Amino acid sequence: MHSTTTHPGASSLLPADIHQSIGVLTRQLHDALNGLGLTDKVKGWAGEIPDAKSRLSYIARLTGEAAEKVLNRVDMAKAQHDHIAAETRRIGTLIVKDPVGAVAKGHVMNFLTDVEQSTQQIDQHLTEIMMAQDFHDLTGQVIAKVVTLVANVEEQLVQLLIQTAPADAVVKAPTHVAATELKPVLEGPVVCPEGNPDVVKGQSEVDDLLASLGF
Amino acid sequence: MANELRFLVVDDFSTMRRIVRNLLKESGYTEGDEAEDGVVALQKLRNSNFDFVVSDINMPNMNGFQLLSEIKKDEKLKHIPVLMVTAEARKEDIVLAAQSGAAGYIVKPFTKATLEDKVSLILTKLGLK
Repeated sequence: MHSTTTHPGASSLLPADIHQSIGVLTRQLHDALNGLGLTDKVKGWAGEIPDAKSRLSYIARLTGEAAEKVLNRVDMAKAQHDHIAAETRRIGTLIVKDPVGAVAKGHVMNFLTDVEQSTQQIDQHLTEIMMAQDFHDLTGQVIAKVVTLVANVEEQLVQLLIQTAPADAVVKAPTHVAATELKPVLEGPVVCPEGNPDVVKGQSEVDDLLASLGF
Repeated sequence: MANELRFLVVDDFSTMRRIVRNLLKESGYTEGDEAEDGVVALQKLRNSNFDFVVSDINMPNMNGFQLLSEIKKDEKLKHIPVLMVTAEARKEDIVLAAQSGAAGYIVKPFTKATLEDKVSLILTKLGLK
C-alpha cells in the first residue's frame, strides 16, 4: 500500500505523478544525450560492458589457474624434498653402522642416483612455479584495458554533468588525461580466442602462419 | 659458445623480464641485461654489445614494433636478431613483425621449451651457435 507519510521525498506525489516524473527525466536525459551527441557513445558503453565482464572473468581464470599450478608444484616439490631428507637420514645411519657395507652393497650409489633424480625433478617444479608468474604480465595488460574503459565512461559522464548543470552551478572541468589518450592501440591478450579467425590460439598456429609466409 | 652470447630482454613487466632472464640462464645464456621499454632498450643497444634481443610488443614510450623498426634502420644494430615475445595474438601483428624483420615470434603464455627452441633456431641460422 502506498504511504505518503513514510516517504518524505515523495509525499506530494501519487504513483501516476511519479511515473510521469520518471518519464520527464528520461526524456530530458535522452534529449541531453542527443544534444551532446552522446547517444552513440552510450550505445558503445553498453557494448563494452560485456567485454569488460569477459576480461574480468579472464583475470579470475588466469589467477586461479596460476595459484592452482603453484600449489600443485609446491606439493610435489615438498614430497620429493621430504623423500630426500628421509633417505639422507637412512643412509647416514647405514654408513655409521657399516661404512664399508654401505658402499659395497650399493646403498650409497643408489642414494646418490636418487638424489640426482629428485633434484632434477624439483628443479622442474621450480621452473614451472616461475613460469606460472606470467599471469602478472597477462592480467596486468587486461586490467589496464578495463581501467581505460571505466575511465572512458567516467569522462563522458563528467562531460554530461558539466554540460547539463544549472547555469549557477560551479562545475570544474576534469583535469585528468582523456581516457581516449590512454587507450592503447595494441590489443593485448586475447580473452576469447574461440571463433575469432583473426587471432592465433597458440604457438603452433604462429609457427604455421609464419611458415606459410615463408619465414 | 652459447654462454658467451649477450642478450637484452625488453618488457615493461618486471616479472616477465625475470622469467625470461631466468629461462635464458637455465639454457646457458648467462650474460644479459634488461630494459623496461623500447627507449631504454635502444640506449642500451647503442651503448653496449648484444648478440640477440628478446622483446615484448605492448610497452609504453616505445613499443616493440617501433623498437624493431629502429634497430633495423640502424646500420650498427640491424644485424642483431630480435625475437618478439608477446601477448599480441592477432595474425596481422605476427605478419607485420615478420615483414619488419623480427627473427621469431612467441605468443604468451609460452613454455620454457618454446623459448629455448626459438632462441636456438635463430642463433643457429645466424651461425652464432
